[in-house]
Amino acid sequence: MRIHLTVNGTGRTWEVAPGDTLLDVLRREGFAGVKKGCGTGDCGACTVLLNGRAVNACLVLAVKAEGHTVVTIEGVAQGGRLHPVQEAFLEAGAVQCGYCTPGMVLSAVSLLSHNPDPSEAEICEAISGNLCRCTGYVKQIAAIERAAARMRESQ
Amino acid sequence: MAVHQIRSVVRPATLEEAWECRRSEPGASRFLAGGIDLVLYVPPTVSTLIDLSCLGIDAVRQEGSDVVMGAMATLTEVLESPLVGEFAGGFLRDVLRRVASPLQRNVATLGGAVVRAHPWSDVIPALLVLDAQLDVFDGRRSTVELSEVRARSESPSPLVLTVRLPGASCDGRGAFEKFARTGFDVGVLNCACFAIIERGLCRTARVAVGGTPSVARRLPRVEETLVGKPLSASQIALAAQTAAGVVDVRDDRRATAEYRRVLTAVGVRRCLENLAGLGSEVKE
Amino acid sequence: MKKRESRAFVVVGKSEAKVDGRGLVTGRPMFVADVDVSDALVIKMLWSPYAHARIASIDTADAERMPGVACVLTHKNTPATRHTTAGQGFPEPSPYDARMFDTKVRFVGDRVAAVAAETEEVAERALAAIRVEYEELPAVLSIDEARRPGAPIVHDESDATGIYDPSKNVVADVDIDVGDVAVGFGESDLIVETTCETQYAQHTPIETHVVLASLDADDRLVLRTSTQVPFHVRRIVAQTLGIPVHRIRVVKPRIGGGFGVKQEVLLEDVAGWVTLQTRRPALFTLSRREEFTSSRTRHPMRVRVKVGVKKTGLVHAIEMEAVSNTGAYGAHGLTVLANTGSKTLPLYNKAENAHFFGQAVYTNLPVGGAYRGYGATQGYFALETAMDEAAERLGLDPIEFRLRNAIRTGEGSPIFAKLGEGREGVSQTVKSCELERCLEVGAERIGWTSARSKKERRGSWVHGVGMSIMMQGSGIPEIDMGAATIKMNEDGSFNLLVGATDLGTGSDTILAQIAAEVLGVPLAKILVTSSDTDVTPFDVGAYASSTTYVSGMAVQRAAEKVREQILGVAAPMLGVSTERLALRSESVIGEAGASVSLSRVCQRAMYETDQFQIAATASCVPSESPPPFLANFARVAVDTDTGVIKVLHYVAVVDCGVAINPRLAEGQVEGAIVNGIGYALSEEMQFSSRGRVRNPTLFDYKIPGALDIPRIDVVLVDSYEPTGPMGAKSVGEIGINGPIPTIANAIYDAVGVRLRQTPFTPERVLEALQRV
Repeated sequence: MRIHLTVNGTGRTWEVAPGDTLLDVLRREGFAGVKKGCGTGDCGACTVLLNGRAVNACLVLAVKAEGHTVVTIEGVAQGGRLHPVQEAFLEAGAVQCGYCTPGMVLSAVSLLSHNPDPSEAEICEAISGNLCRCTGYVKQIAAIERAAARMRESQ
Repeated sequence: MAVHQIRSVVRPATLEEAWECRRSEPGASRFLAGGIDLVLYVPPTVSTLIDLSCLGIDAVRQEGSDVVMGAMATLTEVLESPLVGEFAGGFLRDVLRRVASPLQRNVATLGGAVVRAHPWSDVIPALLVLDAQLDVFDGRRSTVELSEVRARSESPSPLVLTVRLPGASCDGRGAFEKFARTGFDVGVLNCACFAIIERGLCRTARVAVGGTPSVARRLPRVEETLVGKPLSASQIALAAQTAAGVVDVRDDRRATAEYRRVLTAVGVRRCLENLAGLGSEVKE
Repeated sequence: MKKRESRAFVVVGKSEAKVDGRGLVTGRPMFVADVDVSDALVIKMLWSPYAHARIASIDTADAERMPGVACVLTHKNTPATRHTTAGQGFPEPSPYDARMFDTKVRFVGDRVAAVAAETEEVAERALAAIRVEYEELPAVLSIDEARRPGAPIVHDESDATGIYDPSKNVVADVDIDVGDVAVGFGESDLIVETTCETQYAQHTPIETHVVLASLDADDRLVLRTSTQVPFHVRRIVAQTLGIPVHRIRVVKPRIGGGFGVKQEVLLEDVAGWVTLQTRRPALFTLSRREEFTSSRTRHPMRVRVKVGVKKTGLVHAIEMEAVSNTGAYGAHGLTVLANTGSKTLPLYNKAENAHFFGQAVYTNLPVGGAYRGYGATQGYFALETAMDEAAERLGLDPIEFRLRNAIRTGEGSPIFAKLGEGREGVSQTVKSCELERCLEVGAERIGWTSARSKKERRGSWVHGVGMSIMMQGSGIPEIDMGAATIKMNEDGSFNLLVGATDLGTGSDTILAQIAAEVLGVPLAKILVTSSDTDVTPFDVGAYASSTTYVSGMAVQRAAEKVREQILGVAAPMLGVSTERLALRSESVIGEAGASVSLSRVCQRAMYETDQFQIAATASCVPSESPPPFLANFARVAVDTDTGVIKVLHYVAVVDCGVAINPRLAEGQVEGAIVNGIGYALSEEMQFSSRGRVRNPTLFDYKIPGALDIPRIDVVLVDSYEPTGPMGAKSVGEIGINGPIPTIANAIYDAVGVRLRQTPFTPERVLEALQRV
């Protein structure tokens, strides 16, 4: 089947199998920042934004993206400039192995676009589907708080 | 991983078309809503998916005193809807925030949650105690009780169009308890209670317990102990004790039947205490 | 004086951003499977459905005939060399009890056959077409069953070596004595004895095991693999496949977490063989389910500790007996067992009498391996439970009891020499130990005096606080080796080549910081290349908390050699002798403000006078393993209605010497604590009565998420390890040992119940509450 979608701001037309997941297709098309950690929606490593909302790409059939917009980690930095969430992840030491990082960053980007001033509890809820085995989440939560503050300042 | 056996996905524009697709191939077709469950497991006979996303059944709206939620609305859309936030003190919104993670709530639909009715579902007990009804289509439209559609065995079961929260429940209050191993987990048991209190007495009381490990059911014998009574400590204790006695629990890898019985009593008691304004769970 | 020096660092001691961080936050293709794999064959494995069986026959003809199938591997067409999958120094202390494919399967999830095909779909259909006849054998599914006289023998093959007593399913046996514990207990005024059991747990790195095998232009085998031990992978694959080491290149790109499970050669032999047979690239990835059933786990253990204490509050005798379940193969069986004693008992060095003994036994269950903490985690559960109980019965505050008994700077323990990495250890004296300070800071942070023994009740919840202390090591003395090469470029930058393996810990960054410090340049001028066996010098890899201490010292030495060369070139340029020169701010500084830039120095060496490449290689084989120390405190709430445990606040105060990068060091401890909390409360592999894992998914094997973490305070105390690079010790593993005993002791403080079986699930806790 053929699907038309916008990925990181660019219109794409892809030939996909009806049973392909969005994760299968994105990785096949070279968006290697979308990670696979379980394939069952339990880890969040494959998180992408679908129409601005963070979703598990492994649980979404590619055909469901027809006509929609997708943002992967590759599309978060603009023109070589890091997104404030990415900057904060670097500064706060929120990255260890980095395998969960794309998903975690996208969940944070989605949260902050809908809720610019989240509480710590809201941050934890927003990343509750993104498992990290390295950091213990402490510095990731701090990074998201830092990014939120910076984005509010620059508004 | 790709679901190789799927050979086609069709996207009907009308209810009639969607129903016809489904009816003509009951074994080989399935309705496609959010699609999560179909990605995780498709029965081996299924090769065609009928995508419901073009049927215009995704809005949440007021209809008279009822709140009517489109089956294709995602759980996030439902919980963010102001109408849902105002209904019964935002009970359904609060329950939905305990379902899975935002990543799944952004994909999973209300209709999917109702139709699949996983044993651990948090949505089902919440809708049961709100006395939700379903508007369905099987060639013609009709409205059925939530419990009724789940009891039917005909194949294919009708297409769920909307979930209807009856205005009669709007002024009540609900409480929900979920016992899970971690914050992002299905419950080893969940419990929802709902009451409309008039002049200090329960005019209406509904209690549902799920994840037993079967999907939630109402416990009429517990409800009977409450109707016409005040939510006093002794009534609550009686209800909790009754619930533990009547609940149908079993062992599975997540918990033993015995422990589920304990949780049932605790869950019912805590929910009712919460409704009575006696909130007991203080951690810090 | 030494400590003052540590504050004069310019790059070390600073929380620099990770050198690989920018690529990771932007999703650059840095991991094994992120390169183009569209032309690679896909490998899938047929795993044993039985816990114990002989393969009577195996028919692969139908599978081989299927279009798109490139090859099918079984015991019939692969090398039969016995080896160990454990990535350890050579000769390995683990038995040679594994084959690529064997004629017998020893656990549900053991290898039976592999298919390499054009697509995953074809590979899976081919697996289904392989016909295997099994002769099922009786299985042993617990430590007790394995040790029963006449029990089925897991390793009855004649060609396995290094097994202590295969006929009794005993992989390893350790027994060491200091003084005489029998006499010691006789002389003691109080005896406390406790037995604690730990469960099967899995590392769950978010990236599962994955390897991409290919041939280079010279037909050499290139293994791009997610490993902690690239050089051991090269050696073990060469041994297993019977090809020379020089025909293999192992490249470790970024890897998505390891925690010990990638200190193992699990996929590389098969992928390598497929590529050599087919001359095609081949990708072998474990699914999450396979990661649970067929990779490695933490060894479950039963540990009994008996402590004899004098009225003075001094521990006089300690006995620890550990029985470890190593599963179907003996990978790390001996060394994890030995570490259970060697990393715990020296902490209480006032005990004149000590006895550690135990066995690691085979069962027909998934295979134990290296897992952060490496036996110490299991040992500390029992030891710190016993110490808590001893303090209570003496009427002493547990902190005071620890202070009286714990090892201090300037002291040693005879255990250090008696018990090492599965053999005799190395005598050492502790040169840095700030445990007292750790306890002081931690007690204050948690509010120890106001919270202890209060049993504060809020509704059904009761609060309590608990504590524990621990040590680990920094590498394996006289065994581990790390090496580093540094070469200079004409713009004053340096290439740092290390075999050390950054598995997400940030070791590339901290090694670069050490080099930058010595060479007087900012971090950006150090370009790190790590873990490519063709390019970088040897390093044993990332395990045993070795990288900072061992590889870090190698980097420091290499940088010092390069510094000498730089000064040698600069001396004639500045007209003074090298002793009067310093390296700082990217320049060589002479007297009276005269200076020459590093780039000028290198240009001269490269292009102008007495030309040579400024470069050096250095190695480090440490002669000791200075322990980091940790004081843990936790405040917990116990729900007496449901048995649910909530950790409200966790404080970890660490002496890791100088933290080369404090933020990364904190991150190591935070991550270890949360992993440890999962291990303490919710993580447990469950088995059917036939040895099948019942919960091989993250849906049902519950690791902590962001909603599950307490407030966590990690404090790094000021410390300086004189033998370490820039004063550093290790920090990677120690934190994971804390949560189990600390939470257990806090639960006791709250509700007076001692839990001796992990995880402390609500159901277990409630049952324990109902017993009292």
